[in-house]
Amino acid sequence: MSRTSAASIAWSHVGGADCIRLSGLDPKTLTAGADVQVRPGPAAAAAGEFPAMAGRLVRDGNDVCFVPRFPFVEGTSYAIAIAGRTAAVLTFPRRERPATTQVLAVYPTAAEVPCNLLRFYIWFSAPMSQGYAAGHVRLVDAAGHPMTGALLPTDSELWSADRRRLTVLLDPARIKRGLTAQRALDTGGVGYPLRRGETFWVVVDDGFRDAAGRPLRGAADRGYAVGADERRRVDPGAWTICAPPGRTREPLEVRFDRPLDHGLLARCLHVTGPGGRPVPGLRAPGPGERSWQLTPRQSWAPGAYRLVIDPVLEDLAGNSVSRVFDRDLARPEDEPGPPEPVALTFRLSV
Amino acid sequence: MSEYGLRPGSAQLQMAGPITFGPAGILFLADNGLARVFAVDVADPGPAAGPEPFDLTDVDLRIGSYLGCEAGQVDIRDMAVHPESHNVYLSVQRGRGDAGQSVLMRISVPDGAVTDVPLDGVLVAEAAIGDAPAEDDERQDVTIPSGEQGEEVTFGGRTIRILRRPIRTSTVTDMVYLDGDPGVLLVAGLSNEEFSSRLRRIPFPFGDDVTASSLEIFHVSHGKWETAAPIRTFVPYDGGASILASYTCTPVVHFPLASLVPGAKVVGRTVAELGAMNQPLDMVSFTDQGEEYLLVANTSHGLIKIACRDIDDQEPLTTPREPVGVPRQTKDLQGITRLANLNGSYVLALQVDGDGRRHLRSLKAASL
Repeated sequence: MSRTSAASIAWSHVGGADCIRLSGLDPKTLTAGADVQVRPGPAAAAAGEFPAMAGRLVRDGNDVCFVPRFPFVEGTSYAIAIAGRTAAVLTFPRRERPATTQVLAVYPTAAEVPCNLLRFYIWFSAPMSQGYAAGHVRLVDAAGHPMTGALLPTDSELWSADRRRLTVLLDPARIKRGLTAQRALDTGGVGYPLRRGETFWVVVDDGFRDAAGRPLRGAADRGYAVGADERRRVDPGAWTICAPPGRTREPLEVRFDRPLDHGLLARCLHVTGPGGRPVPGLRAPGPGERSWQLTPRQSWAPGAYRLVIDPVLEDLAGNSVSRVFDRDLARPEDEPGPPEPVALTFRLSV
Repeated sequence: MSEYGLRPGSAQLQMAGPITFGPAGILFLADNGLARVFAVDVADPGPAAGPEPFDLTDVDLRIGSYLGCEAGQVDIRDMAVHPESHNVYLSVQRGRGDAGQSVLMRISVPDGAVTDVPLDGVLVAEAAIGDAPAEDDERQDVTIPSGEQGEEVTFGGRTIRILRRPIRTSTVTDMVYLDGDPGVLLVAGLSNEEFSSRLRRIPFPFGDDVTASSLEIFHVSHGKWETAAPIRTFVPYDGGASILASYTCTPVVHFPLASLVPGAKVVGRTVAELGAMNQPLDMVSFTDQGEEYLLVANTSHGLIKIACRDIDDQEPLTTPREPVGVPRQTKDLQGITRLANLNGSYVLALQVDGDGRRHLRSLKAASL
């Protein structure tokens, strides 16, 4: 609390809101209306030039309270000027809160990824703050050196609606063939972000803040080996359907020829049963995103089933069922397919 | 405003996104938290302005001072200039996490006064930009996550961890309004799942069917590779007959609007590449002495200027080399993150200096 000859000034509350309370103002000032302006610290030196903080003055008995339009920020200093003269500087206190949020998982969970890997997903145990991804998620090589320029810088971070899942893209310009960026160093480019045969880690450091502004309980990482690039369309014809016996609730399992994208896998596969009705149940990707299971809510009825695949389903390198990530125009077999779902059929017998 | 379907209401933003002006001083605001676009009558108070320049130092400190936070807590997401008054509108996210707030700020020209624009009790219309659930989407369905993500629920005494859908979101990266009857708002976005070049068309006034139709736009690089990628920033071109779009993977691509027919495969023409380790940030076109030019703000080089005449003359790129594509001039103007037409004579730039301070600066079209 600071004191001036005119007033004592302190953090307080009025009408349930945080405020700056000015007490002991002389009656003349009170009657005429106090000329009180508040500015956050950095602007205080330029008080005449920078706008005052938006808010209103509220009479509370013999006190005057400044109630801001936008909440005070923890740890920020505010200069309070009365009639143009700085009367006090107060710092809005920080609330000490223990860190409770952690990284739950990093996808892919495959041990090896193609050198044209396109994205990661990072799951957190609680909603997170935006604006920290660029500084607190990075790739490091086997020697522990940051792999600068591997990740795509974005203005807007890519979060799920509940802000628990962050999507991180590798720089697509270094993955797409034919662009200057993707070309090797000796021809003016910078090459793939990942190098075949090497290992690397995704690191999320504990400076990443959750929605309440708390750091993480600890850093997290996941290591990968880098394999060959993957430039083929996702081909459901190469999958294996392990059909359960009819009249049971055993899960249906679909095994893929390569790991598929964790995020898309959760919504791109559906099963319809006899009569074309969807089969409700619990779906789960398998280890390394190399398989997918559906455990039906009710027992499987014998008959014909369809596994319906949304053609946007991608592998780890951004190749989807309908198109390869970047198509070599000289390869007619890579012509994009129609955007309609494709289906695999199978029968369940007793 | 009723002719545009605006009604009294509120546009409470969750996550400030791109902004752009439409007809009659209506501002479109994208909300990247709610996956919606609001059309708001901003009731701009200014008189019509002339062709004078406008500069303002420390715009982030000024906004922070008004909003009661340090400049580092002021995230300027986009900038638009009112077509009549030339007042500057900024889409701002103030603070982060639960304490974050989306604010629309107005900076008056020429006095530089800073104020926020009320979004409650205003004339407003809105449209959804999210992906509509598929018809066969079993909304009651949940998945069991393979890790520990999701939430714990109890079924008949048994507790399991489940994951509720949907978690797919679409982040608006840029918007363009094209006048017409009806007008069309074009919205480019970045999915948090699939890698696609989705461009949504939303007729304005927004109809009852507020779900946008969308198109995937391919582009060809060097005559050899065809690809689709998220559009980062784009501008109307050729009197609104076509679009110039810049991509996360750096090509600048030209495609005619007439080709944007639902169901058609749209393939644009790559006319330039911005080079390795570079990202486009914003684009604007302006006219000087009857010639149309394009300015591209980007992360690695100074402001890039391209004559549209050269774009028209440019053959599709067939050989990767650097620099590639149309002739361009790189201006010694570093740190520009946003661009807007201020008036016929000046382009307004939001520029970050070497100390990280942000300023508004007018660039004289005739001198660029």
